[in-house]
Amino acid sequence: MSLLIAFVASMLVGCGTWLLLQRRLSRIIIGVGLLGHGANLLLLVSGGRRGTAPLIGVGDAADFADPLPQALALTAIVITFGVTTFLLALGFRAWQISNDDVVEDDVEDRYIARRAQIDREVADEIEAERAQAAEEDRR
Amino acid sequence: MKRLLVVDTSVRVLYHSILVLSLYFLFAGHNQPGGGFVGGLTAGAAVSFRYVAGGVDEVRKAFRLRPWTILGGGLLIAVVTAMVPIALGGSVLEHGDVEWDVPVIGVLKTTSALPFDIGVYLVVVGLILMMFEAFGDDLAVDDEYGTMGVGDALEADSVDHDLGGLTRAVDPELHTRLREPGDGRP
Amino acid sequence: MFVLLALHLLIGVGIVASGDRLGRRAFAVAALAPLATVVWAITQADAVLDGRPVVVEVTWVEQLGLGLDLRLDAFGLAMVALVSGIGFLVCVYAVGYFSHPKQGTARLAGLMTLFAGAMLGVVMADHLLALFVAWELTSVTSYLLIGNDDRSPRARAAALQAILITGTGGLVMLVGIIAVGHTAGTYRISELLADPPSGGVISGGLVCILIGAFTKSAQAPFGSWLPGAMVAPTPISAYLHSATMVKAGVYLVARLSPIFATTGNWRLLVLVVGATTMIIGGLRALRQYDLKLLLAYGTVSQLGFLMLLFGTGQYQIAQAGVALLLAHGAFKAALFMVVGMVDHEVGTRDIRELHGFGSAWSPTLVVGVLGAASMAGLPPLFGFIAKEKALDGYVEHGDFIGSGAIVIVIVIGSILTFAYSARFVLGLFGVFGTDDADPRSRAAHAPSVLFLAPAAVLTVSTVAAGLAPVLVDRLVRASTLALQPGVTPSPVELWAGFNTALVLSLIVISTGLVLTAYRVPLGRLQRRASDAISWIPSAEQGFLACLRGMTDGSKRVTALVQNGSLPIYLAVIVTVAAVAPLIPAVSVFPSLPKLIDAPIQIPLGILVVVAALGAAVVRRRIAAALMLGAVGYGMAGLFIVQGAPDLALTQLVIETLATVLFVLVLRFLPTKWADRSPAIARPIRIGVSTLAGVSVFVMALVSSAARDDVAAPNISEEMIARSAPDAKGNNVVNVILVDFRGLDTLGEITVLLVAAVGAVALARTGRRRLIPGRREQGHARPDQGAGS
Repeated sequence: MSLLIAFVASMLVGCGTWLLLQRRLSRIIIGVGLLGHGANLLLLVSGGRRGTAPLIGVGDAADFADPLPQALALTAIVITFGVTTFLLALGFRAWQISNDDVVEDDVEDRYIARRAQIDREVADEIEAERAQAAEEDRR
Repeated sequence: MKRLLVVDTSVRVLYHSILVLSLYFLFAGHNQPGGGFVGGLTAGAAVSFRYVAGGVDEVRKAFRLRPWTILGGGLLIAVVTAMVPIALGGSVLEHGDVEWDVPVIGVLKTTSALPFDIGVYLVVVGLILMMFEAFGDDLAVDDEYGTMGVGDALEADSVDHDLGGLTRAVDPELHTRLREPGDGRP
Repeated sequence: MFVLLALHLLIGVGIVASGDRLGRRAFAVAALAPLATVVWAITQADAVLDGRPVVVEVTWVEQLGLGLDLRLDAFGLAMVALVSGIGFLVCVYAVGYFSHPKQGTARLAGLMTLFAGAMLGVVMADHLLALFVAWELTSVTSYLLIGNDDRSPRARAAALQAILITGTGGLVMLVGIIAVGHTAGTYRISELLADPPSGGVISGGLVCILIGAFTKSAQAPFGSWLPGAMVAPTPISAYLHSATMVKAGVYLVARLSPIFATTGNWRLLVLVVGATTMIIGGLRALRQYDLKLLLAYGTVSQLGFLMLLFGTGQYQIAQAGVALLLAHGAFKAALFMVVGMVDHEVGTRDIRELHGFGSAWSPTLVVGVLGAASMAGLPPLFGFIAKEKALDGYVEHGDFIGSGAIVIVIVIGSILTFAYSARFVLGLFGVFGTDDADPRSRAAHAPSVLFLAPAAVLTVSTVAAGLAPVLVDRLVRASTLALQPGVTPSPVELWAGFNTALVLSLIVISTGLVLTAYRVPLGRLQRRASDAISWIPSAEQGFLACLRGMTDGSKRVTALVQNGSLPIYLAVIVTVAAVAPLIPAVSVFPSLPKLIDAPIQIPLGILVVVAALGAAVVRRRIAAALMLGAVGYGMAGLFIVQGAPDLALTQLVIETLATVLFVLVLRFLPTKWADRSPAIARPIRIGVSTLAGVSVFVMALVSSAARDDVAAPNISEEMIARSAPDAKGNNVVNVILVDFRGLDTLGEITVLLVAAVGAVALARTGRRRLIPGRREQGHARPDQGAGS
């Protein structure tokens, strides 16, 4: 573990986050990839000092690098690949449909946000029904 | 797309060598660097050479089985390996080992972790085959929305993307409604 | 007792399920349930009145102390007499009332039976949580009852308002119940009574419970729903709003006051609210022209009175409360029935359209007058006895602060009660009838015997209890004892001697007479006064404003939190994920490690950082993908230096494949992208990214330093040690993957499978149709060259 590795990991995560906050799906995918690298590096350095490859019979077991974070990181690498494949398919599909790979704001949520200014459901309902009743009484 | 003889030939050679290497990774992985993941990915790299040489059809020729068959078969093998010990009265993934005395080669030692690793290998190979299956075609031509060129794309870029193309494609009426000023109610 | 509750459920559901087939006969069926309850109660009465309550306990979740504990003591018996006795009479009355059943009439009978069952649950439950469940059931069934005429907008609005107010109150009450029950360690009322808890949490919880009781009993300022609920058919109003539902809050206060009257602000709160309600209800009742609304506001006023009597926690006063509870149930139900008869036969309840009745109506009018007299507190009726007892209790035994003021409030409230009772009677006799209205009431059909009988029975009991208080004496005394064991309640008497209470009663009656005589100028005065204070928002307006504020607020919050923008969501998530671990990490910040482990790390590190920055800023998609690939290769190098050849190998192959994958997909997309209106301003994006980076930096330092401190043998060392002998493998990483943590790997490859299937499904959608038969042909075209 060295300062340099920690710095590299933090740079990877920083750049990944920056890309994650974009609107283009292709940039987001690249960002996910960078974040994955950063996470793997973090996982690895969390295992403590570096050492020799954990192969029994090759070198002294006391000098081994910690194998557990390696196994975790290996899993993470492959999973990241699988996720990237899926995200690319998603981007590809978005492109097919809309000629664009922008992540849009959710339309329904927008709609809800607008409704906040325009209607006041329950109280109005009660009042409207009262008014309707009064109307019927007059007739 | 034309096929080049030199590419074709060298791919034939490389493909099989890399495939053998991937099998080596798979079987040696228990004791040396390697294993199901690395082996499967290496086999995937070999497949990508076939793709370079002849596209998706070349990839399909390389494996007689369908990608999803390989993918599912791999998972099945891994699951069965994990479950067999239960049937034998052990716990999940409990491993046993076998030693063979093969005449010429010497003593072969293997454990029940090997079939599990083979399952992993097949899943990874299947994943990569699926990847080519998904994206490997000349997709833009096959598209039901017709051919899309870069020009279309640039035009699409100019759409106000907040309420952009996807809405318009999925629900044109809603799209128009939301882009209108006012309260947006029907 | 469970059998009785089940009977209510069975009959209620059965009637509702049978639809309109039964018509008004449904009420005859429904009457069976309360009748059975009354019969059962009479068989138990002797033991219960002797102080031996009927107890049934069913344990449900023993560890949580949850159970369905039913307990019928004398006070419960008094409530059962109201709920089931009046319930039975109302059912009989309803058979006459619904002579022309409409759609949904039978449903009313079913719902009423269900409601009666829920109400029985309230008065029988000993466990506070069971009480809460029954309490909420009464809210729900009363909602359905009020809104039964679902085509009437007024009924819908009234039902909605009722359930919103009582439901909210119920929820607040639940909080209070849990606070009290949890702190005290028991939810049983009988155990709370035996060992009263106290403390800050209890006081807070009690306020919550009181809010629930106030909403249910229509106390100020939550009373706006009760007059609205009068849109329900009169039998329903007579039942729900005179005898049962609104008494639930009073019942709860009566139960808890002996335990908690001196805890926190219980007594102050109950007395202030009760006094306000009593006066306001009386004033508003005086201004009504609709007989039913007059009774509704009168009920609000009487409920306030009951709160005053039960909230003190003094048995002498609570005894008056029990008497008033019974008296009020009897006379108010009878009065509602009379109004229902008038409405049914004449077609109006407006006193300006009533011009007196023919002689056939005399029995009905007698019932009405006697009921109103009992309400006004005239001797020798039951209402008079109850009021005497109340005044006497306060004057003789009110030894707490403010009891003198409460006496004045009761006197004023009683004067108002007298006045609106008189208004009711005068209205019934047609004094308010205007000349331009059609005097059809004179020719109206008199109600049939069956129609009149229930009200007559109630009136007879009112008179009988007034003339011979000994009839109810035992019940009232036993109830008082049940509320507060170990006291010696005095007998209930018509003539208690010449005392202060009697003088006050005389004042009430004489002032009431004066008010009645001068009702016209007083009415004008009251109208002017109420106009003058019309700027004060009424409870009704307050309720609507609250509702509006809530729906507005919720939408604003939704618009803010659920804004639909992925970048904003992600920024929030990343910020939280970055800041949360920083806080504990900073406190254990270790000394800095050395700069590098090996010289080769420097070029590799530079490669990775530069490529990452490049990927973040380039504007060409393919270029960004290649930069990502470069990062991956650099990572593989770092893995080798770190001592992880498996990782390095995997990373190398993956990176190659990933680059191929990116190229495959990105070739369809335009090479460059244009930036347009990002969801978040650039400085914020940079800030969030920097924060995430810093957080990871700190985490890396802290976690690796912590790892060095772990005492041997740690789990990794054990894995290394057991790898060769147990798992027959020398590559520890692979052994971990396929053996030690094999189940994780199994899960992982399942994820891979799902991702692969998803990707293929997404990418191939919409293409299958264009190339029919492709699936069949795919493998059968070995000779064709390149992919088409």
